Amino acid sequence: MFKRILLRLRDMKTIATLISEADKQANLSGEEEPGVEHFVLSAIELPDGSAKRVLKQIGTDPEEFKEAIKKQYIEALNSAGISHKCIEDDPEPIESKTLLHNSKPSGQALMKALHAFKKEEKDSPLLGMHVLVVAASMKHSVAGRAFKIMGIDTKILTDAAKDELASIQY
Amino acid sequence: MSTIKSLPSPDNPEEALAAVVALRVMAEQLEKKAVKEAIAQGWSWSQIAEALGVTKQAAHKRHAASIKKKS
Repeated sequence: MFKRILLRLRDMKTIATLISEADKQANLSGEEEPGVEHFVLSAIELPDGSAKRVLKQIGTDPEEFKEAIKKQYIEALNSAGISHKCIEDDPEPIESKTLLHNSKPSGQALMKALHAFKKEEKDSPLLGMHVLVVAASMKHSVAGRAFKIMGIDTKILTDAAKDELASIQY
Repeated sequence: MSTIKSLPSPDNPEEALAAVVALRVMAEQLEKKAVKEAIAQGWSWSQIAEALGVTKQAAHKRHAASIKKKS
């Protein structure tokens, strides 16, 4: 019982960090509200380090995720006959003063799915790799397309996350 | 700015919807730059709102913070 309360407190702290960093990532991209892709960037930076380890475990570079987001925009614009130069390499960051942020619908969908996912795993803490697994299941999202560009297979990612979870002492 | 020569076919929703998202990102970036330039050229928020087809409040809410930051 006591362990579960501690776990819940830890999860609340993780969620606060995840949301705050996702907001920061969105603002750095010149966007007001975070989408699922910003939650993935946030998860990669979570102090537990599990998202980074899982991505490395399956042979990908976590740093490539941001590039994969940009690449999908460039490819999509090229398919419409538009030069990639129309997308800024370094969009001007915005400084949002909003205290209580909202998320884009994809960000909200991720948090909802993450909640449902965690209900199934009540006895383990919420970790960055959980965010990766849920985001990878959103195949048609910006994050899903970025994973596809990185050559990430959802099944392999999920299996690596399970292995990682089994190896963690908490 | 390039002109759109071709658009992905709606028959291929995967490609077409990815293009919609990318076009939206491009449009938002263009909007930010254009509003910043309009303010620098002395446009009022009412004029910007009229040009964007939104209310003055909506235009101000969306862009005022980033404009103030630069001035």
